[in-house]
Amino acid sequence: MSERQRIAVVGLGTVHEAPTGSSQRMLAAEAARRAIADAGLQVSDIDGAIDLRRTGGGGDRASYTDAFTRFLGVPAQFYFTIGRGGALAGLATAAATGFLDRGLAKYVLCVGAVDDHTKAQRAKAKGMRGNAHVEKEGYWGKALGDVRAASHHSWMAARHMAEFGTTSEDLGAISVAQRAWACMNPDARMYGKPITVADHQASPWVVEPYHLLDISLISDGAVAFILTTEDRARDLAKPPVTVMGQGFGEVAADLWWEKQNYTRMAVANAKETAFAQAGLNGVEDLDFAQLYDCFTAEVLFQLEDYGWCKKGEGGPFVSAGSIGPGGSIPVNTGGGLLSNWHLGDLTGFAEAVTQLRGEAGERQIEGAQVALATGHGGELVSPGMCSIHTSTILGVS
Amino acid sequence: MTDTATAGDVSAWNKPHPNIDLDIEPFWDGLREHQFLLWTCHVCDARYFPKSFCVNHDNEPFAQNMSWQPSSGRGTIFAMNRHHLAFHPGFKDDVPYVYALVELEEGPMISSTIVGEQPEELTVLGRGVQVVFEDHPAEGFTLPRFELVTE
Repeated sequence: MSERQRIAVVGLGTVHEAPTGSSQRMLAAEAARRAIADAGLQVSDIDGAIDLRRTGGGGDRASYTDAFTRFLGVPAQFYFTIGRGGALAGLATAAATGFLDRGLAKYVLCVGAVDDHTKAQRAKAKGMRGNAHVEKEGYWGKALGDVRAASHHSWMAARHMAEFGTTSEDLGAISVAQRAWACMNPDARMYGKPITVADHQASPWVVEPYHLLDISLISDGAVAFILTTEDRARDLAKPPVTVMGQGFGEVAADLWWEKQNYTRMAVANAKETAFAQAGLNGVEDLDFAQLYDCFTAEVLFQLEDYGWCKKGEGGPFVSAGSIGPGGSIPVNTGGGLLSNWHLGDLTGFAEAVTQLRGEAGERQIEGAQVALATGHGGELVSPGMCSIHTSTILGVS
Repeated sequence: MTDTATAGDVSAWNKPHPNIDLDIEPFWDGLREHQFLLWTCHVCDARYFPKSFCVNHDNEPFAQNMSWQPSSGRGTIFAMNRHHLAFHPGFKDDVPYVYALVELEEGPMISSTIVGEQPEELTVLGRGVQVVFEDHPAEGFTLPRFELVTE
């Protein structure tokens, strides 16, 4: 096989603030505009586009028509949607790699936008919490009381507590660590609002064992990034961030009642593939990690599954301060979905690029060169759990 | 099996409706007759929920080597939580409620609320439960709930 060029992230655009009345389409187009400018490219350079939508999850929320490319006049020769729950950036990168590899595009623009906050505010006026309350085909439980993601994701936290003695305070340590990161990120929703484990414990139960502070934010916003081949990447405005490796895992490879899937994510295959491609021996080769954190326990599981600690020992590991500022492995350094913004795995992916470029300001990890960014999502029929897991290793030389 | 049919279901259903698609319709028909059916392989007697092909061997087209068959309706609590917040206004009078993932005696898992005596500790797992049937004749469906089995 001929030597293939590596793929790199060359442009990044994020939108966290928007004039009221901005649709998802406008949020996406604005993030795209910013990413093109960031890369030092012209709109006319973009010849491929991927729209990241959280379809195939618990709620197919981003079901608008039209393409952000048309809003901007991007002459993309292909445009399609991709995504499974919160797994967006990882899937887009894999798809774009195929197009770039085969010469089907030179610059692929990947964009995801959400207006969950606006939608949730509207729903709240009708007594609803969250967005989707219509049970779709093949789903189970909404009529019975399994109404939102916390209704079944909290089983995983409860199960880990029962099996390994993990405590709510341990989960609180994750929330506290990520808030500490957010307090060094002026763009974060929770900037300037530090919390303690006592605050976590005092926050109301939503679905016990989850307190309010175990649960990710509901946000409006958008992230766009541009991928190209390494030779083109060298001539652009920003230092390229290389995609060193990618891997995928899938809970649906197992039967519905595979019990281990209640205390782990589908990390094994994803890690093995991604780390091998990137030439990493293990997690000790990573400078920081962006671990998908829809809820606190998912972070705990991944710390164990990737091997920062043994299965069952995640509680003491996080309670020792290992993932916060000054810890042995900085995790979700922008605040994550819990304290920064919830734009699926795009939140962590964008933060990884920002850190690797050395643009992270007060929270910058000194000398950071190699990072892991993960995503997962796609809720299966109850017994509900996340389905896909994506591992992406990003690096700078 | 215990039947706890709710006599005179006068109040209108104000919660999300179950989506009863073609695959699962016979299961819901069974519930209405107070039978708890599991998708069963005629070749090896493996039980499934939801409907699928049998993973133990080759199957006939459209899994015609399988059918919905009565089961014990018994199981143990594998995991549970307690909802304190009503995500939907229909559950406002139900909170706090315990929502459990039940491992059925036959192998599959299914989830619903625990009715009657409530478990105290969410981490004390493995307690025996038995399905009970909650009829909603005006809506045309019966919901499966679980109650703790007293030893």
